[in-house]
Amino acid sequence: MTTAGARTEVVARRGVHAARLAPALGYALIWLFLIVFLVYPLGRIFYDALTDESGRFTAAHFIGFVHDAFYLRSLANSLLLGLATVACTSVLGFAVAFLLVRYEFAGRNLFSYLTLIPIISPPLVGVLGFTFILGRAGTVNVLLMDWLDLVKPINFVYGIHGVLLVETLHLFPMIALNVVDALGKIDPSLEEAAESVGARGWRKLRTITLPLTTPGYVAGALLVFIWTFSDFATPLVLGVHDLLASQAYLNIVQFVDRRLFRMGIVISALMVVLALVFLLAARHYVAIKDYSSLSYSRISRRKLGPLGQAGAIGFLSAVMLLSFIPYLGVALASVGRGWSLTPFPVQYTLHSFERVIVETPKYIVNSLLYSGLAVAICILVGVPIAWLLGRTRVPGRDALDALNTLILAIPGTAIGIAYIRAFHVEVPGFDRALTSFWIIIPIVLAVRRLPYTVRGTYASLLLVHRSMEEAAASVGAPGLRAFRDITLPLIWRGVLVGSLFSFMTSLQEASAVLFLSLGGWETITVGIFSFYIAGSASEAAALGVILIVVASVSLIVINRIAGTRMGGMFG
Amino acid sequence: MNIRLLGIVKRFGSTVAVDHATVEVGDGELFTLLGPSGCGKTTLLRLIAGFYSPPDEGEIHFGDRRVEALPPYQRNIGMVFQNYALWPHMTVRGNITYGLRLRKLTADEIERRLADGLRQVNLVGLDDRYPGQLSGGQQQRVALARALVLNPDILLLDEPLSNLDAKIRVHVRGEIRKLQKELGITTIYVTHDQEEALSLSDRVAVMRDGKILQVAPPKTLYERPVNRFVADFVGTNNFISGVCRERTAERTLVETPLGRLAGRPADTVEVGARCVLAVRPENLALGGDGENVVEGRVSLAAYLGNTLRYDVETAAGLVLKVDVRDPWNHDPLPAGHAVRLTCPASVALTLPDE
Repeated sequence: MTTAGARTEVVARRGVHAARLAPALGYALIWLFLIVFLVYPLGRIFYDALTDESGRFTAAHFIGFVHDAFYLRSLANSLLLGLATVACTSVLGFAVAFLLVRYEFAGRNLFSYLTLIPIISPPLVGVLGFTFILGRAGTVNVLLMDWLDLVKPINFVYGIHGVLLVETLHLFPMIALNVVDALGKIDPSLEEAAESVGARGWRKLRTITLPLTTPGYVAGALLVFIWTFSDFATPLVLGVHDLLASQAYLNIVQFVDRRLFRMGIVISALMVVLALVFLLAARHYVAIKDYSSLSYSRISRRKLGPLGQAGAIGFLSAVMLLSFIPYLGVALASVGRGWSLTPFPVQYTLHSFERVIVETPKYIVNSLLYSGLAVAICILVGVPIAWLLGRTRVPGRDALDALNTLILAIPGTAIGIAYIRAFHVEVPGFDRALTSFWIIIPIVLAVRRLPYTVRGTYASLLLVHRSMEEAAASVGAPGLRAFRDITLPLIWRGVLVGSLFSFMTSLQEASAVLFLSLGGWETITVGIFSFYIAGSASEAAALGVILIVVASVSLIVINRIAGTRMGGMFG
Repeated sequence: MNIRLLGIVKRFGSTVAVDHATVEVGDGELFTLLGPSGCGKTTLLRLIAGFYSPPDEGEIHFGDRRVEALPPYQRNIGMVFQNYALWPHMTVRGNITYGLRLRKLTADEIERRLADGLRQVNLVGLDDRYPGQLSGGQQQRVALARALVLNPDILLLDEPLSNLDAKIRVHVRGEIRKLQKELGITTIYVTHDQEEALSLSDRVAVMRDGKILQVAPPKTLYERPVNRFVADFVGTNNFISGVCRERTAERTLVETPLGRLAGRPADTVEVGARCVLAVRPENLALGGDGENVVEGRVSLAAYLGNTLRYDVETAAGLVLKVDVRDPWNHDPLPAGHAVRLTCPASVALTLPDE
């Protein structure tokens, strides 16, 4: 024993420096990454927004914004649109969630899978699909004009009501999944206790059940709001320009008028501020950072009578049918040729697929490459962050936590603009700016999608009791070794689910990438946008189909690993 | 291997979890840290294990090795956790041999030690089960085997029996004690269960608010507690407050609401000071004559099988617990029945008032 003791002591002395230095260095690198690629760019747009051409402090830009009636109207429209979307998605999301969790009816399992459908297609693809089916010359209008002899097509989608429709149908699963998640975690005895003291029906729902779902719901609602608030691609496709995000995009990409360019930066700074305000407000209301665990309670479902069944199935079918419109539209458009003024394409061809897969494979190659790299960065940075949050009290831990939550709230538009401003300076050692290297796209994707990896990892780390690692240390495994042998095998599912989610949403990212993409770097989403703007709807649709297929595969894999319960991911 | 703790202090923020703990544990001793939850006993154990290394103040010595700055994996300890902390993705074999494989032992040696370990804890034949397929008692023994196969210098047990059923608990308690004596391994045992502590320890340290209040063998702890907290926490006690009027080498006279009572003297109580008399229920007799006589009425009788416990309410409103040790030959008295209680001065401990 003494010899063993003496030996370990020698090893200990030699190991102490390396053992203390390596983690500190890693921690410093994580902070360096976050400061350079998140804090600095965001700081940069505020600097730009608050200084004039010669670098002096001025509030003139904001005063200019406030005095411009058009911008004010855009701001009001954006806020109204966001609130209206939250309202619509809440009604839809709560209804769907309650039906799926609390009631038993034919096809319930099928419907719970179908709820995920809207998430598969990014809004950019969804909006295309809607225009093909519900547009002025879309299927529905053509049919209506044929049958009812309408002189003018009905305007289903162009205008702010169309944006509301598209966003609602795309985003209601965010609310539904979060509420499903929260409902699944309510201990049945809480509601039984309420019943035992006489609270039943609506009263129980209002006083017990709904308050218990608020944390999950508010987190989902915040994301819905910020998503809608910062989406510019959907409104632009639908011809809506008087929204804040649209104005930010249009002002930035025109690159001619310096005053307008500056105004684009001011708008994006404003969007960050507003997003922060909403985040803090939501956080004040419920602790958003209260990450959900993966433990669920036993649920007893009430069996619906025939009438109730019919109602539930009818309602869910209607919702799913509406959600299915964009898929139908995109699928038809991708294989249709010469589709105009007929309800459906008259000729079918795979020509557009040939063009975007064989002739110019760069869209797919770039998307997979950038998203893959982004996920690699997410894992490299995110898993250690999750570990630091879950297992240590290292100084700066709270700041790390706050930054990670903040990323969820920052509009992609603002991040894109911030990167343009922040990294348009030459990289030391090169004669070019970082914005002229394609690596900036994976980096911006990684920063945007980091929270999913962190949350997925964190949630499964919570399930691994700390004593598992301590037991390993007690039998002789140093920190990293214990992490490799014990922790990692127990959390890899969570890491994988979080990473796949990061991957899928990276593929779908449009806003930040649209600002940064240069010739040759086009991703699928950039391709969709530019093809559609250029009038090549079929190619845009073909890319949309590809995006949907890749996202579906990711989602199926996620589902296989984690089950349908992904609510924690959005919280 | 003996353990010496010198002035250990551990703070969490502004709370002091362990407050200047100094104690020496002898080679081969089974030493128990006993106290209510939050008293710092688990923190002290984890400091010895190395999970909070180093402590804010103080030294930890294992034999002639100073270890307070070493990480757990360099201290050569074996630890059994309250929740066992068996790795769910490894079989019993995987769990037990993990530490051996880290030490790069030969395959033969690993097999030999695994077989020994399984035999020691009576788990032969379960090597290929996963922890989820074992009962609580079996999991507990896997955890013990995992700690023991490494031939640790020191065995640390953190409330190892708290997750077991009452009957199994008593059984495993005996097994642990037997195994520990056979191996002669220095062991530190944490529990909040005073009966457990008394039944298996060589010595017990009672802790409260991070401080060690008394270190003593079980019999001393039970019969000569140094203060009211220890007297109350270990076993059951009646406390009668009063003022010390006289003190001789044999006895004290204490002025109480129940009259002037005689007690066993303590150095810590001066004449004129406030104090309490502590009398255990089994030392109060029903009827008879003696130095201390108290009149009262039965307010409650609780039949416990091996004893019958009365609550007797005195005229002053104080309720005293009295045990009848042989209920077979005793007809329970009805509530309201007047009784006279007596006890000799030698079992009424005079303790300082807190």
